[in-house]
Amino acid sequence: MRLKRSWKIIFTITILCCFIGIIIVLLSLFAPKPPTGEVEYARELIYEAGRNNAASYSGRSFNEARSLYDSAMTKWKEENKRFILFRKYDEVSSYARSSAGKAEQAMQESKITSSNLQFKLKHKIDSLDLVVADLDRLFLAWPLPSEIRNRISRGKLLLKESLIAFDKGQYLQANRKIIDSEYLLTSSLEHASSNMTDYFRDYRLWKKWADETISASKRNSDYSVIVDKISRKCHIYHNGIKSYEFNIELGDNWVGHKSVRGDRATPEGMYKIIKKIGAGHSKYYKALLLDYPNPSDRETFRKKVAEGILPPSAKIGGQIEIHGSGGRGIDWTEGCVALTDPDMDIIYRIARVGTPVTIVGSLADLDDILR
Amino acid sequence: MKNKVLVGFATLMMIAILTGCGKAPQTQIDAVNAAIEEAKNAEAAVYLPDEFAALQNSMNAVMADIETQKGKLFKKFGDAKLKLDETLTQANQLTSSVAAKKEEVKAEVGSMMESARSVIEENKTLITKAPRGKEGAAVLEQIKSEMAAIESSLAEVQTLNDNGSFMDALNKLKAAMESANSINTELKEAIAKVRR
Repeated sequence: MRLKRSWKIIFTITILCCFIGIIIVLLSLFAPKPPTGEVEYARELIYEAGRNNAASYSGRSFNEARSLYDSAMTKWKEENKRFILFRKYDEVSSYARSSAGKAEQAMQESKITSSNLQFKLKHKIDSLDLVVADLDRLFLAWPLPSEIRNRISRGKLLLKESLIAFDKGQYLQANRKIIDSEYLLTSSLEHASSNMTDYFRDYRLWKKWADETISASKRNSDYSVIVDKISRKCHIYHNGIKSYEFNIELGDNWVGHKSVRGDRATPEGMYKIIKKIGAGHSKYYKALLLDYPNPSDRETFRKKVAEGILPPSAKIGGQIEIHGSGGRGIDWTEGCVALTDPDMDIIYRIARVGTPVTIVGSLADLDDILR
Repeated sequence: MKNKVLVGFATLMMIAILTGCGKAPQTQIDAVNAAIEEAKNAEAAVYLPDEFAALQNSMNAVMADIETQKGKLFKKFGDAKLKLDETLTQANQLTSSVAAKKEEVKAEVGSMMESARSVIEENKTLITKAPRGKEGAAVLEQIKSEMAAIESSLAEVQTLNDNGSFMDALNKLKAAMESANSINTELKEAIAKVRR
């Protein structure tokens, strides 16, 4: 009787186990499957997009991709809390697919944006290098207001910072810096160019003086000298034909006409040699003294004093020479025109008292210089 | 009566086996999340961005794995636990690496700052010896203005350094240093020309 009861228990438990086993098999067969592969794919794409700097270059799409991925995970967690047969992974799957799509979009956008930005920055850096080169070429020795000098300095420094960021592949940072640099440098170039344009208002007069000087050389079959301040050249004409061209050095305040004694400016006008000073008698090897100030200079000076532009105590200055001891590569004179000693020998030999010396701001017009 | 108790016990055991076999390792998850947060606060994304992205990706993978297990009848969190341990180690290592990297950048900033200051001081001496008109007084003015811009940039570098933005400080400092060196060379050349 007891044995029979034991068998009955074993039988019941076996039936129960079979029943549960069948349930497990059925549940496993019919339970909805989570979109593991889709979620994993989305995750991998987000990671790849991140490695391609999508957070920086395609922030919106990248954040959307991440947000959709988070939604997929949240939904998945919610569904896992339901009874196994009642779970629905459609939304999880949809979020994961959308996330993958957005991540792919972010990655493509990031690649395109960073590549375009890199190209744009390279072009911008090159063009700003040219602006800096122009500023150095045209205006380094040009007396500019300190505010403009400071802008140029800050602009140059920012351009360097931008280049460092660019070389590290930090294009957004480089772009921010280049925008500031561009503003500072281009506005400075505009200001300086306008300053130069003002100076070139006398260009027609300079051209007239130069033409007259060359014509006089031809007419008189004689030598004449033209000093071009901007190009730092001294041209010697004979019979109207240029026979020599020398490099020169000027005073450090060379822009504009000489106004007053001690201003270290070189006068502009039509002058003549009034004295030849030989070796041993000049502080600077040999010298040719000019007739500065001439009557026109004296008249201009008087007007400036009368108009209060110059103080009554101002003196007109003088002793402007073409002299030797040049070739230092810098502007160092008190307003004179300095040549190397060998060049000075040549000009000293051909010049005589009365040889015309015309000093102009520039022989080339502004457009040529800016080009 | 005894039979009913036995059957009931067996049923309960089966249910327990089916549903409660594995528990999600929530404590470990929390610990890893805290470690990731710590790495983030240490600016891992700034100093070691690739490593930080890899860490976040590892954690996302583990979380997906855990959800996969949670959805199963027979949950196994053994693998996930192992991966969580690895991710925790990865996060802690990253925090240490970031600290080391920060120290390295900080030291580089400090040393470069000293060099920059020394070049600036030398430039200040050189400019007094430079010809008054190195290609005109205007050029000297430009150099002085550039020196002032560099000094002002160094002040910004100091502020960035004090605020712990060592990487930004380093980038800015490199540009300032390059400019200071270029002025140094320019001034030396100008002085040499006049001495000729």
